Amino acid sequence: MDFKKNIKKLALLIKEFKDILRLAFSLAKANFKLRNEGSYLGFLWYLLEPLCFFGIILLIGGVIGQHPINYYPLYLFLGLIMFNFFTNSTSIALKSIMANGNLIKSMKISLESLVMSSVFQFVFSHILEMCIFFAFMIYFKASLWLIIFYVPIFFLFLMFVLGVGFMLATVAVYISDLSNIWSVFCRLLWFLTPIFYSMPANSLFHRISYMNPMFHFINISREIIIYGRVPGFSTLLLMVFFSILIFGLGIFIFKKYKLKFAEMV
Amino acid sequence: MEKEKNIELKNISKTFNIGFKKNDGALAKLVAFVSGRESKKKLEVLKDISFHAYPGQIIGVIGRNGSGKSTLLRIIAGIYEPDGGELKTSGSVNYLSSFNHGLSPKLTMEENIYLMGAMMGLSQNDVKSKFNEIVEFAGLKDFVYTKVYQFSSGMAVRLAFSATIHCLNYSKPDILLLDEVFGAGGDIDFEEKAIQKMAEFIKGGSTVILASHNLKTVENYCNTAFYLNNGGIAKTGLPREVIDEYRKSM
Repeated sequence: MDFKKNIKKLALLIKEFKDILRLAFSLAKANFKLRNEGSYLGFLWYLLEPLCFFGIILLIGGVIGQHPINYYPLYLFLGLIMFNFFTNSTSIALKSIMANGNLIKSMKISLESLVMSSVFQFVFSHILEMCIFFAFMIYFKASLWLIIFYVPIFFLFLMFVLGVGFMLATVAVYISDLSNIWSVFCRLLWFLTPIFYSMPANSLFHRISYMNPMFHFINISREIIIYGRVPGFSTLLLMVFFSILIFGLGIFIFKKYKLKFAEMV
Repeated sequence: MEKEKNIELKNISKTFNIGFKKNDGALAKLVAFVSGRESKKKLEVLKDISFHAYPGQIIGVIGRNGSGKSTLLRIIAGIYEPDGGELKTSGSVNYLSSFNHGLSPKLTMEENIYLMGAMMGLSQNDVKSKFNEIVEFAGLKDFVYTKVYQFSSGMAVRLAFSATIHCLNYSKPDILLLDEVFGAGGDIDFEEKAIQKMAEFIKGGSTVILASHNLKTVENYCNTAFYLNNGGIAKTGLPREVIDEYRKSM
């Protein structure tokens, strides 16, 4: 009897999860369409934007000096799009509850979906960017099949970003300064993470980078996909553990406070 | 036959902190100005509300502006958390306070219908099966691929009403909470159609709680009613009696 009850409970939980995911996808699809709606180049902007930025950095890098990094364009582009995914989706997720106050009050809607949709809309553009990356891999004659390893890495990365998104969305409801703070923080993080440069030997910098999860996600992806080097087992295990921890923590904090959101926004 | 209660409230209360101007000293004023924070005072919106409802019941809630009608419905819906008391609901709950909540002006009518369906908890296939009915009822067959910002406000109302009511009809919530929502606010033709559809739906067996200023609606469609005043239930009973009491107190 108890067993049956548990099964029923589990089925209900799965259904709820599916509903949340479904709504998040629908909202993400709409937001994705809306992002470049009405512009002349429309859909093309999703490809042009990262490419232009990539071109700029490549150009500046070329002026400043020669790069000792192998496959530098690939190195740069992968770092760039992963970092962009992080900043774009977290800064939109941060505002997802605040900005939808009216909606939250006027109907019963799963709040998780609002946060998740803001991350998912950038998953769509990230997939497009990965297609460009793949084209680069062909051009620079890297081993193409290694790209399949990006799928599990990205899954963990996504969990990490969702976790951060949930936390930010919660705190932003109480402290609206967070969106300003976060944009400054992201800029700082952009320079602290070796995206367009390689990790300097400076020991202080080394230590900072080891505390920086973005460095690890980007570094592991580069090592595996571009250079075909397998990182140590403990590094991978730590990454899995860390992603799940942040995701769980994000959900926990969000769930704890979500019933208060409607009165705050 | 004793039916099982599907809404039960015991001593529900709710207090809000609202902005408020106080007579402070200069320092306090400066701090308030710099931090951008206003001083707050407590506003008790609901005090010790208890009632229950059975499936199929249609309950009207009347009361002046600010008497706590919306707050009560939002607490039942789980949008607000009560500060004290016990709330039990069983089955699916849906809360509606307006019809044009989810419309995205820059999307086409077709995309909007799918989006609204998703927000009401329907899958893409569910919406697909209802799609023609929604368009037909709204009478907007020629505008399926037009972006909604180009709609007249009447057209937007028709679209929103039609999509919402058909989605509700599909998902059939066990408990439906309507906050000042009855009819659509379109032209006479559509309004009549909308009210008829709404009435049909309300009588479909869900527990419905209807907060309204339109006393006629409450009298015509509800089988019980209560009158909220100053955060408490001032009177419960048949809609007729409750409305009389409400009128007397004005």
